[in-house]
Formats: sequence, C-alpha cells, structure tokens
Amino acid sequence: MNKGNRYIVKAENVFKVYNPGQENEVKVLNNIDFKIREGGFLSIIGPSGSGKTTLLDIIGCLLKPSSGRVFIDGMDIGKLDDSELARIRGKKIGFIFQQYNLIHSLTALENVVLALRIMGKSKQEARRRAKSLLEMMGLGKRLDHTPSQLSGGEQQRVAIARALANDPKIILGDEPTGNIDTKTGEKILELLKHLNREKGYTIILVTHDPRIGKYSDRIIHLIDGEIVKDGKA
Amino acid sequence: MLDIAFRNIKRQKTRTILTVLGIMIGIAAVVSLGSISQGMNIMMEKSFELVAGRIMVFQGEGAAGIAGMMTAMSTSEITEEQIETMISVSGVKDVVPMSMYMDTSVNMMQLGWVAIGIDPVRLNYFKGENILMYDGRELEEGDSDVAIIGKDVADKYNLEVGDSFTVKEADFDIVGVIERSDIQDIDMGVIVPIEDLKVLLDKDTYQMAFVIPEDVKDTEIIAEHIEDADEDLYTMTGKEIARQASEILDQISIVTIGLGAIAAIVGGLGVMNTMIMAVLERRREIGVMKAIGATNGMVLQQILIESALISLIGGMIGIALGMLGAFGITMYAGGMLKAVVTPVLAVGALAFALCLGLVGGIYPAWKAAKLDPVEALRYE
Repeated sequence: MNKGNRYIVKAENVFKVYNPGQENEVKVLNNIDFKIREGGFLSIIGPSGSGKTTLLDIIGCLLKPSSGRVFIDGMDIGKLDDSELARIRGKKIGFIFQQYNLIHSLTALENVVLALRIMGKSKQEARRRAKSLLEMMGLGKRLDHTPSQLSGGEQQRVAIARALANDPKIILGDEPTGNIDTKTGEKILELLKHLNREKGYTIILVTHDPRIGKYSDRIIHLIDGEIVKDGKA
Repeated sequence: MLDIAFRNIKRQKTRTILTVLGIMIGIAAVVSLGSISQGMNIMMEKSFELVAGRIMVFQGEGAAGIAGMMTAMSTSEITEEQIETMISVSGVKDVVPMSMYMDTSVNMMQLGWVAIGIDPVRLNYFKGENILMYDGRELEEGDSDVAIIGKDVADKYNLEVGDSFTVKEADFDIVGVIERSDIQDIDMGVIVPIEDLKVLLDKDTYQMAFVIPEDVKDTEIIAEHIEDADEDLYTMTGKEIARQASEILDQISIVTIGLGAIAAIVGGLGVMNTMIMAVLERRREIGVMKAIGATNGMVLQQILIESALISLIGGMIGIALGMLGAFGITMYAGGMLKAVVTPVLAVGALAFALCLGLVGGIYPAWKAAKLDPVEALRYE
C-alpha cells in the first residue's frame, strides 16, 4: 500500500451554515481546513454540537458545504449532483453507524448483498463477496440471521462487512462503539485498526470513546465548529 | 429489487392485504361491469346480422332512436295497403311483414321467449341463410298452428319436436328446433305463421316489415322512397340502427366502466396511503440505502415496484373475481345477456390496475427519493 503518499480527503475553508440569513441561522462549521492522507486513521472528537457529525456527513458526501471546497479522492463534491454523490458514497465510502442501521427485514447476508447490488454487482457475485466478507468478520454461521437475532457487536460487524462490500477507500464511523459494551467495543476498534493497517483502508471516526487514542494516528478536536487541536494521538 | 419489494410488502401483512382488497374490488367491478357492456356489444353485433342490408319499417311517429323503435313496435300497425305501397317502390325485392308477441305480465328475463309471426315462405329473410335447424323441419307454406323454436326456448322449457307450446291460450305444435345462433331474437324466438298470430292478437295489421332491396347498395335510397311514398311509415336501416346502437352502447360502457373505475380509483388511493405510510416508517432504511450508494432514481424505483406489485396482485385477483361475476350475471340473466370478459377487457383491467399502482405510488416514491439522507439516517 502506498500509504501516506496522497491526500484522500481535502477540506479547504469549509463553512456549514443552516438556515442562512434567517433568525434561526446556525453556523455549524467555521472555516475548517485539513487534509487526510490515504491510509490514515483519524478520529474527530469534541463535545455535542461541536459539528463533528456534520463534518463526517460532508466527508461522506451526504451533505455539501455551504462554502469552501471538499475533495474526496480528488473530486470536488460541491460540483457533483445528487446521483454522482450517491455513486461516490457507494464506491469510495463505507459507513458505520452507532445504531448499525441494518435493514431489519433482511438477513445479515442480504444486508451486505444489497450494498453490492446497488452498485451493480450481479446476484451471484454479490452473494459470493458478501459471504466471504461476513466470514472474514467471523459471522460465517450467522449469514441467515436477521439483525434482531444478532447481538450489538455482531450487528456492527455486519455493518462493517457492508461498509467494506464495494471495497471503498474510506470507512467513516459515527460513534461505532457508542452502543456496544466496552469489551465488544474494543474488538470493533481492533478490527478497524486491522483493516487500516493490513488492508490500507482510510478510517475516519467521530467518537467519544476515550480509548480511541490507542488506535488513531491523528486526532482532530472540534469545538463550536472550529478545529482547536489537530495532532498525533 | 423485486425480491426486496416482495419482502417489504409482506412486512405489514394486514395493511397490504387491505390495500390489495381495495384494488381487487375495484378491478372486479371494472371487469364484471365491463363484461356486461362487452356482452351487449357482441349481442348487438350479432343482432345486426338480422337487419344488415334490410330496411325495418314501422307505422306511426318516427320516434328517436332504438328506444323509439321499441315503443313504435308495440303501437305500430301496418296495413295490407301499406305493404303493397312498399312493394311498389322501385328496387324493392320483397317485403316481409312481421308481428311479435310476448307475455308482458312476466319479467322477460324469466320468461325467456318471444313469439314472432312471419310468413313461412319468407322465413329465410328473417332467419338468415346460414342458420340451421337443430332438429325437425322449418316452417312451410300452408303451415298452421305449428311453431319452430329457438334453442334457448327448447332448453329452458325442456321442449322437443312433437311437444306443444302455448302462446296466449293457443297451442302450437313444435315442428322444429333452430340451432343456436347467438342471435337473441332467434334463440329466444317461438316462430309461428303470421296468419296464426294475427288471429291470436285479433289484428289485421302487422307490427313491422322487413323490406329487402334488390341491391344492398340502394338500401338508404329505398328507405327514403318508402317514407316519401307513405308519410305514415318510417324506416330504419341497419346502418342507422348500428350507429344508434353503438352510441347507446358507448354510453352504457362509459357508465358501467366508469362506475368500476371509480371503485378502482378509491383502491388506488388506498395504495397511495399505504405507500405513504411505508415510506414514513422506512425513512431510516431509505437513508441507509442512500448512504450505501442508492441514487434517488433507485429509491423511486423501489417504492414504485412495491406499489405496482400490490396493485398487480389486486388486479389479477380482481380479474378472476370479475370473471366469476360475469359468469354470475350470465346465469342470472338466463340467456338474455351473456356477459363476456374479452382479452382486451382483461388486459385493459390489468393495465388499469398497474396504472393505479404507479400513479398511487408516484407521490410517495417521489417523497422517498427526495428524502434528505442525513435527516433520514437519524430519524428515530
């Protein structure tokens, strides 16, 4: 892996304002400027309302900045339309959420297959890859279980398998350990670290988890929409 | 996508079943009501074979349309002199006077027969060349107190050659049964010599006459000439009847299919309601789909497939039910009307169901497609 040779995310003077010009105007991000190297493990920390989830949503192409520019793998997301953004989300980004966000009517296997099918993989190919990813996550015997039949840790591993489905460049985690017990949380972080180190995925997490320092190689500290600290863990 | 759609509609079983029921009832109404007008259409078309290339003549006021014709028939009294007048019009090959009688004290649907008096020699003008006898013989010159009956009458009253049939206190010996023709007047007809019927009705006059032109091309002109020759007569040609009948049938079609369509549209609103609920419930899921790469178009498609699926299932059951309804109507009408579900009607009903699903689904699908993924993902 040519880790660290290029920037996978670049944010230049990013502002995010909700309801601009109105009474209830909220400035969420204030002149954010940073670059993330490919293959890095970055954590974004900060108190509630500091704008860290909004920043993650922008990196995840779910939101566009109000001003400034954000480049994902060299592409200026401000210039892309809805479908192009969707394609980038599918191809280059894998999401992991605090609430896992698995689709409850689908089995573990089908949840992963869905991500592959959306990106145009054939049914057989999707099933094959989904199965091997879930096996890699230690869920080989849980393929046909629905989320309600799985523990929190297992659900999060299904979600990670889904995030990896289309072999993205970046994995974004929004409090991925927020809903699971300490021990399982540790395992999830170890898994992410493994994926980062051995497979070269760029990992960006928003978290409150105090153990994160152990895993990250860089931590950005946000307060009131501004970066107050940016450095090695 | 289809398998996911199937699974999604199974998630709220009761709601899906109720929605399917809504569409089903609507489509069943469209099909069964439509089958009535289709059946009438076919029946009318068959009946026109009787009047094609001929002129029907009545005496009295030329009341408008087919309804007028029905009234005219009961009051019309054509005299022998008027028959002579018709024969004298140039281009007329023959004139076939006729009278009819039916027992008006009984519901026609239950009665199932109508007596038709005709000159035995000219029977073919009424019956048509290609209609055959099922059993026995045709009427012949000099026949008296005998009848030939249509297949429906024979079946309904379990009659055969040799039996007798009572028309207004007079008994007629059945000498022949006519093969089923699908022409109502013949299948339900008890055809007797006109002179017998005149005596029975105590009348010297005829109710109507068929004028047969030498050349079919001259039908319209001859009809005009007959009306010119005797102002008390009025004529209807097959062409005119066909035109009026198709107008009436069109109106009946609009009313019957329209009624069904209203029911079906209510079903379509049910689909819309169901899909709006489904989209609300699945906001988060839609957010997830978008986060993992689904475009707005894919989300739109997913919801549309689900609503189309619901309405297609409803539509298919509805068509089956409508066919059953058509069968029931035919049974009830006892030969008066054969409700027919034509392929066009069935396919049209299914297409209509699909349209309802798509139209009912488009708004919720559009709402789903336009959901902001950030909001949807964090929806509790």
